[in-house]
Amino acid sequence: MVEERRILYEHLDVPDINTFDVYRQHEGYTRFEKAIAEYQPEEIADMVKDAGLKGRGGAGFSTGEKWSFVPRDIEPRYLCCNADESEPGTFSNRYVLEKNPHLLIEGILICCFAMGIETTYVYIRGEFTLGKKMLDAAIKEAYEQGYLGENVRGTGQNINIYTHPGAGAYICGEETGLIESLEGKRGQPRNKPPFPAVQGVFMKPTVVQNVETLCNLPFIVGNGVEWYTQMGPTYGDARFDPPKADPNTGTKLYCISGDVNEPGVYELDLGLTCTELIEVAGGLRGEEVKAVIPGGSSAPILTHYELDTRLDFTSLTLAKSMLGSGGIIVMNETRNIVDCLLNIMKFYAHESCGQCTPCRWGTPWVRDIVQRIADGEGRQTTITRPKFGITESGRWGDTGETEEIYEDLDLLESVANNIANVDTMTWNTICVFGIAVSWPAVSYMRKFRPEFEAAIREGKLVTLPVAEATVPPEENYAYQQRIIPKEMTDLE
Amino acid sequence: MAFIKLNDLEIEVEDGTNVVEAARQHDIEVPHYCYHPGLSRPANCRMCLVEPYGPIPGAPPGTIGPARQLATGCTLTVRSGPPERKLEEKFDAIIRTDSDRVIKAREDILEFLLVHHPLDCPVCDQAGECDLQDFSYRHGHDKSRYLEVKNVPPKKDLGPDILLYSTRCIVCTRCIRFCDEVSGSGELGLINRGSHDEIDIPRSHEGTPIQLLDNKLAGNVVDICPVGALISKDFLFKSRPWFLEKTDSICTGCSVGCNVTVEYKADGLYRIKPRFHEDINQHWMCDDGRLGYHYVNSDDRLQLPQKRVDGELVTTQWAEALTLISDALSQVEADEIVVIGSAQGTNEDNYVLQQFAHDVLKTTQLGLIGQLPGEEHKFPQFTIEADKNPNTAGARTILGSANGNVVLEGDTLWEKVASAKVVYLVNGGPERPLQDAERDALEKVGFLIVQDVLPSEVTQLADVVLPGTTFAEKDGTFTNSSGWVQRIRKTIDPPGEAQADWEITQQLAKRLGGEIDYHFAGEIAIAIAENVEGYGDATHQNIGDAGIKLT
Repeated sequence: MVEERRILYEHLDVPDINTFDVYRQHEGYTRFEKAIAEYQPEEIADMVKDAGLKGRGGAGFSTGEKWSFVPRDIEPRYLCCNADESEPGTFSNRYVLEKNPHLLIEGILICCFAMGIETTYVYIRGEFTLGKKMLDAAIKEAYEQGYLGENVRGTGQNINIYTHPGAGAYICGEETGLIESLEGKRGQPRNKPPFPAVQGVFMKPTVVQNVETLCNLPFIVGNGVEWYTQMGPTYGDARFDPPKADPNTGTKLYCISGDVNEPGVYELDLGLTCTELIEVAGGLRGEEVKAVIPGGSSAPILTHYELDTRLDFTSLTLAKSMLGSGGIIVMNETRNIVDCLLNIMKFYAHESCGQCTPCRWGTPWVRDIVQRIADGEGRQTTITRPKFGITESGRWGDTGETEEIYEDLDLLESVANNIANVDTMTWNTICVFGIAVSWPAVSYMRKFRPEFEAAIREGKLVTLPVAEATVPPEENYAYQQRIIPKEMTDLE
Repeated sequence: MAFIKLNDLEIEVEDGTNVVEAARQHDIEVPHYCYHPGLSRPANCRMCLVEPYGPIPGAPPGTIGPARQLATGCTLTVRSGPPERKLEEKFDAIIRTDSDRVIKAREDILEFLLVHHPLDCPVCDQAGECDLQDFSYRHGHDKSRYLEVKNVPPKKDLGPDILLYSTRCIVCTRCIRFCDEVSGSGELGLINRGSHDEIDIPRSHEGTPIQLLDNKLAGNVVDICPVGALISKDFLFKSRPWFLEKTDSICTGCSVGCNVTVEYKADGLYRIKPRFHEDINQHWMCDDGRLGYHYVNSDDRLQLPQKRVDGELVTTQWAEALTLISDALSQVEADEIVVIGSAQGTNEDNYVLQQFAHDVLKTTQLGLIGQLPGEEHKFPQFTIEADKNPNTAGARTILGSANGNVVLEGDTLWEKVASAKVVYLVNGGPERPLQDAERDALEKVGFLIVQDVLPSEVTQLADVVLPGTTFAEKDGTFTNSSGWVQRIRKTIDPPGEAQADWEITQQLAKRLGGEIDYHFAGEIAIAIAENVEGYGDATHQNIGDAGIKLT
């Protein structure tokens, strides 16, 4: 049985941990004191790089590497904390904000110290009213205690934090959409390059980090790189010689929901399998696992054949899915995948910002096609091809082989792939919202095609037994495209 | 200069040029909607996707191949780099606009663009000059796979001259960026989200407009709209664009001298659209100029000469009118004659007038009038000048060229007019109201000859009225306030028996024994080039489409 390893969430349940005094009693701000007392800013940036911390917001990009892109000669530089947690199935940042806001502030302080940043904006999801209230109160306390404001703890550096509530758009969680929204504009992502590290908030170099990423910083500084890298697997990327280390270190706040007995946020080492994770969350509710969404609603689905997939950034990428924000949704045999896809597509059609053509008009189109299939109005044609063979009468002749063509499934795949092609991983859109739409659409349809076909054939939603509903891996087109993990060798 | 390989062409382009422009310079079409050379580049239409080549990650050094992602041609700029970054050892960039991926991407984007676009081309004003229509023909699918109900956002009245057919809008946001960046007035914005995006002006909760799209540059949004969403009420349902003849000309609305294209049929002008000039108007023009052409089509235009009989103006023959004038002019001394040229007239008109006054009438009393000054309007990237005449600078120089640059204007002019026995006043252009001092002076004149295009307060005071022509009916040149000499060209025939102003003046001169004998405006321009200081190069041949700047 896998045990939870609570680091970020260690003191989450301590009463009044949101107040400065209680937080102080639980090693609060000692890591920041250690950072400014023992290290130079550049050393901390190197530590983060060595620790192999990957951004927890979704893309899993190396935090240390991101920091190294920030030009240190341009003033001012900004830190933008992305607390616009809006991926369906994800709810881990919320607890940090509501229960332990000082941990986030400490993370921000360490990042600001390492990068020489004086101004931080925390972009909080508008619905997190309590989270914003708690964070604002904590910031006020930190100002009073001299951890924020002018000349923080004698470092000579001014650090200020401003909180900014979002207005309820999913796309404002995309880093450039967030920056636009923060600047007071319509929340629409920017074209990249330039990346925010070079031109971000007010066109100045900006570090954009998720709440969870920032909360990892105090522990890397406090306990050291070696301690941190012990958690989670480190792979070797065999495309390089010798294999380049591809770390998936640290813990992850997995948000487990769906058909499990004890849904909730679990802090676990990276690299556990789906099966282990379901076990941690109290086991499956129901007979058998039909599907697992591994990283928020935009991640490609995993079938019951893939439950041995390790839930870390590298393994899921190789499985043609992604860890994303760590929002894991488990579905049992009672769930209808067409219905699930419809639900997700309704969300994306509603949330498309409408800036660029493929997403603006493609996303509602995909939703409409799925809606049509779910309503039992999907189109299907039976075509008869002449085929030479022995007929029923025992003579040579045309056997009249028939084939079912599911036009709407082909259309669904084609339209989704025109927004963003999941096979080549290219998108015609400005931001990755395009692939967030086509990934679920195409992967659900390919991996659970019998269920889609049944809905069209029967004219209504039909939930098939798990074994029948799932396309076996050898026939699954997504598997054929899979990069064989021989390129990656486990260093351990 | 950057050396790039575009498809199979090896070409040199200036540093910082984007791929759309580089391709355009070599007649390769990269279709685009949101990109406009005069505006910022949001790259939101995704139509101009091209395939850049570069080093392949993980492959041996020197191997290049297509990049994983297509790039938008509008934001992808090329510039010359250091030798070690050259591709195939000589190119700064290798770009394909004709690969299978690019062609497929264009097809896909066009399919998306047409998902909600109504196929109402037969009743759409833009049909024939619509980018969506053109690119669909050249790059799109032949049928739609879309079965669902189309969005039908409402038609909106945005301002005095602008209608928005929201159904046709492809949300390229060119109009929004124009209002933000060029006019700086920011009336337009997007409302709603996703597939329900609509362009709109600020409105109250009840839907009543708070601010209309009524800035003086608003008409440009119609020009830059790549589809038929933004429509000019002035042109709505008047003509199919392919029935219109087009001629390059210059706007006469103010002294900026915007380059324009006059679109016309035999029965008159239909619309005026701006034409690109880098140093003068870029891509834009103001609505005063755009909509100010209606006087040309007016039914009231002077078509025949008029003379005053018993206090009333009655039409007459050219011969009689010219006889009346030559008689009047030959009866007075040279210093009792005032000749007034017009800042609405061309350099050629004013040169012949100047020659007539100087060589034939021997008078030194040459004056200049024009439209009354208006207001100056400054926008972030455009200025409408206060001087409402296209040729004040040119007329002033040319009228004074043989006279020590003395040209009477303002109060001194009207003082002279009040004491003159014969005044020959050439106006032309839209109706010009008179101020009190001017009216008093003109009433005192013994014999007033007015050459104009429309009946006005001035013609009401005249003893003889001669029908002249507007900018649309003659050839010539204008000199704008910043010293650019530019061509106007004849589009339609003048109404009735009206004639070009210089032709009328030349006929008068001949009656009085002068030796002025030009056959076409270009000939006068050569004479100007020879005789007027600074105009040495300003022949019609040299001026061409771009105009020349006086040194």
